[in-house]
Amino acid sequence: MNQIIEISIPQLLLALLFIVVAQATSFVHKLGLNRDISIGTVRTVSQLFVMGYALTFIFGAQNVWLTLGIFVVMVFSAVFIVRGRVREKQIAYEIPTFLTMLSSYFLTALFVSWLVIGVEPWWEPRYFIPTAGMVIGNSMSALAISIERMFSQMRQQRELVEMKLCLGANYKEASRDIFKGAVKAGMIPSINAMMGVGLVFIPGMMSGQILAGADPLTAIRYQIVVMFMLVGSTAMSTIIVTHIIRRRCFGESEELVVSAE
Amino acid sequence: MTRLLELRDLSFGYDKGSPPVFERLSLDVAMGEFLIIKGPSGSGKSTLLRLICRLNTPRSGAILFRGRNTAEIPPPELRSKVTYVPQIPQMIDGTIRDNLLLSFAFAQGAQKKAPDDATLERMLDAFYLQGVTLAQSASKLSVGQKQRLSIMRAILNEPDALLLDEPTSALDAESAAMVFSIIERLNTDEGKTVLMVTHSDYQPDVPQARSCTFRNGNLECA
Repeated sequence: MNQIIEISIPQLLLALLFIVVAQATSFVHKLGLNRDISIGTVRTVSQLFVMGYALTFIFGAQNVWLTLGIFVVMVFSAVFIVRGRVREKQIAYEIPTFLTMLSSYFLTALFVSWLVIGVEPWWEPRYFIPTAGMVIGNSMSALAISIERMFSQMRQQRELVEMKLCLGANYKEASRDIFKGAVKAGMIPSINAMMGVGLVFIPGMMSGQILAGADPLTAIRYQIVVMFMLVGSTAMSTIIVTHIIRRRCFGESEELVVSAE
Repeated sequence: MTRLLELRDLSFGYDKGSPPVFERLSLDVAMGEFLIIKGPSGSGKSTLLRLICRLNTPRSGAILFRGRNTAEIPPPELRSKVTYVPQIPQMIDGTIRDNLLLSFAFAQGAQKKAPDDATLERMLDAFYLQGVTLAQSASKLSVGQKQRLSIMRAILNEPDALLLDEPTSALDAESAAMVFSIIERLNTDEGKTVLMVTHSDYQPDVPQARSCTFRNGNLECA
């Protein structure tokens, strides 16, 4: 059971048949996806090979600074992806987002690898980096949703927010509903995932562990930790970032500075 | 006569590089005064009201409220005393009661005692909103009714001054007449200071009325 079967290069090439099917479908039905499928295939192979070698190197090096350096690069890339999805030009939100992601994800990954899994040392790259990767990947999407919602609602409900300000509301009171809506929108996907896990889908991490020869009962324990971790880290990061960004939507006199659409 | 508002050398422009909407504008508003502000579109009438309650920030100059620089007054306190009513009335989802008592839900209004239903109903009558009940949804009202409701909501906050931004622009003549009559009564009977931006040729029938007009970036008062 604990023996992992190696995939040889010819076997790997055999898997390319799936891509051939996809290419054929696109070609026959004139979907215009052939170029994207080709680029995607090349990128998948090259990016994962680079990652594989990088991880082999990092796991071998056993250096705390290298591990943390990789973590910072991962968070930095995540901010760029969030930036691509949000497309906000007026209010600067990137630096607080980066700092929040860095601190909250570090705490989450530290908590899980050190206290929950109990690995020694806490930064053991084999545990720390995949844990951080899952946290970053999931929370990044949640943050993008929350930030996007925050800005769009502030613009859409400009007049309503100003009306509340005029009646003596402080900026928090005037934007309470928008704030709640934005945080909720970010948190719902990870909560929904808790509902469907094990019924509707077998999560990637658990499947990976089982394929690699782990006992399913060990794999589910890891998966439970991961699900809880994702809900917690998503809640923490969306609340902090949304809070900071909301303040930036208002000026010194608690006036709304977000311009109309 | 006691001054309620003093505008001192006020300059405003939207963006850093853009030309100013007006420069070095000064104006005194006495307590209990009814000031009409006129001028062409884009001349800065609405902006002037928004600057007074700090919904916009001036490039330079100062605004004093009862002798205090408004920049030093906490914004919720200032806006409760000098309440801006926007051109298009805004209602929250909920009943008319929810809308009228909105300011009492904020920290700034929490010390004030919210009026009971009987008081609110009497006020609805005085604001020509007979037949409207407190429990009904605010979303179904006409624009004219919403405008009267939004002025009533502002009054419940007990401000010293009302800043009204073209309150009748979206209303028919009959509704407009009702709104004007309400505003005049608030000025004469309750002593509320009124600053009202308008396009129309309306002349308030009150003793303390004065009219100012924007011309080429200057405010000329009669």
